[in-house]
Amino acid sequence: MNRRFSLTQLAALIPDGASLALGGSFLHRGPFAMVRELVRQGRRDLEIIKQSPGYDIDLLCRAGAVKKARVGIVAMEGYFGLAPWYRHAVQAGEITLEEHACASLTAGLRAAAFGAPFQPCGGIFGSELAVINGWKEVEDPYGSGQSTFLIPKIQPDFAIIHVNEVSEEGDIRVFGTSHWDRLMTRAAKSVLVVAERLVPAKAFQERPELTLAPHFMVDGFTVIERGAWPGSCWPDYGIDYAEVERYMNSKERDVSSFIDHVEGAGAEL
Amino acid sequence: MNESWDPFSYIVINLARFIRAGEVTFSGVNSTIPMLSCLLAKQAYDFEFTYINVAGGVDPMPSHIPWSSSDPVLAEGSSSIFANEDFYDLCTRGEMDLCFLGAAQIDKSGSTNNSVIGDWSNPKVRLPGGGGAAVMLPTARRAYTWRTEHTPRTLVEKLDFQTAWGGMSGIVTPIAVLELRNGSLEMTSHHPDVTAQQVVERTGFALSTDNVGPTAPPTERELAALAALDFDGRHARNANVHLS
Repeated sequence: MNRRFSLTQLAALIPDGASLALGGSFLHRGPFAMVRELVRQGRRDLEIIKQSPGYDIDLLCRAGAVKKARVGIVAMEGYFGLAPWYRHAVQAGEITLEEHACASLTAGLRAAAFGAPFQPCGGIFGSELAVINGWKEVEDPYGSGQSTFLIPKIQPDFAIIHVNEVSEEGDIRVFGTSHWDRLMTRAAKSVLVVAERLVPAKAFQERPELTLAPHFMVDGFTVIERGAWPGSCWPDYGIDYAEVERYMNSKERDVSSFIDHVEGAGAEL
Repeated sequence: MNESWDPFSYIVINLARFIRAGEVTFSGVNSTIPMLSCLLAKQAYDFEFTYINVAGGVDPMPSHIPWSSSDPVLAEGSSSIFANEDFYDLCTRGEMDLCFLGAAQIDKSGSTNNSVIGDWSNPKVRLPGGGGAAVMLPTARRAYTWRTEHTPRTLVEKLDFQTAWGGMSGIVTPIAVLELRNGSLEMTSHHPDVTAQQVVERTGFALSTDNVGPTAPPTERELAALAALDFDGRHARNANVHLS
């Protein structure tokens, strides 16, 4: 089964209004090539699900592509501070925010992965997040005397993951931490992947324990070298701080100079 | 002017002093200063402890010191990847000894706001959000926070929103160290260049000045470790911490 697409074709699988779990964390291994392509294609009303988004959600908010954010912590990180266009979008009422603790978002995704309507989550006691989200605290029905909060299922339409390597069949793997990507691939209805490079199936067969998700779970992939730019993709490249600075220093809303990047063309020759 | 501390070293080193032998200590996202504190403690103190971080590192040996406290270089030299779900689960099941968690506002009980300035549904400033705080603050054995300024707007009588409850065990600012005593944050020492009374005036909740003296000066090893971590002073410049 051919699962390989062009970036344009892969992004076209995502309709307006879709909910997207985005992989990575802040400026690290985010699916930024796909985010740029969604903006190029003029996608609207997206729901963004991610524990720690940054550049991705900010660019999408700047482009007016977001309707709802379900997030734990949003920032550019390093010493860049707040994500300015996300902040603007929330303050101006352009988007609806469902504020989570990172782990409550994880609990909702675990419920989806587990096929359950909700998932108990540790902590949360005394947090007003429970009030604004209407999370129910229940006593242990088995009589321990403890109570816990139940987080409703969060099932994204798509998990969009940037990975180091993909096989022709669509097996995927990442190096360094997987953040929440593994869970996202289990929770979402469909998994779409941007990979740094294609490697022979043999490489996966030799180290199957490194595989993040097997090919039958992956609905489509594309290969874009340096697709996580201007973020990092360990161990291949680090953050392009000059580019992030350019993004932060530009005060106009117009995003054209941030999406005119020729994907894959930044590869070192 | 006191020669021994600058406002940046005061925060980094006093946070490092909360780390104890044999414990599991965690630094997360958006936490460059406590990341430096954990790396400093490894160099400056003789005891062993386990340092885990949001990049999945367990006692890593990073080849350079990143600006981003979630940079994958913080897993370099680590013999495992202890990923996000792992360290959250460790914390919520009660086995995290010490967490460093950010806070935009903190009250006298050690609860924190990282969500909004103003009303949650109609915010004056939308802040980043608490990240792990709502889950980690009530479940970690101890948690500490830091601020790069000390004003009544950040150390407040009443939080604009209670993102996380559970009682920060302490906070370090450029001018003072506060620690939780019987459920309330109290000043335990202050920067030698300010008075205890000045700290009280810059704090939004009541503080006692009884038995409070200047913070013990940094040791040579602490200063040497920090100088090695921030050899070109870029972290100190970017953190941009001032006494006033």
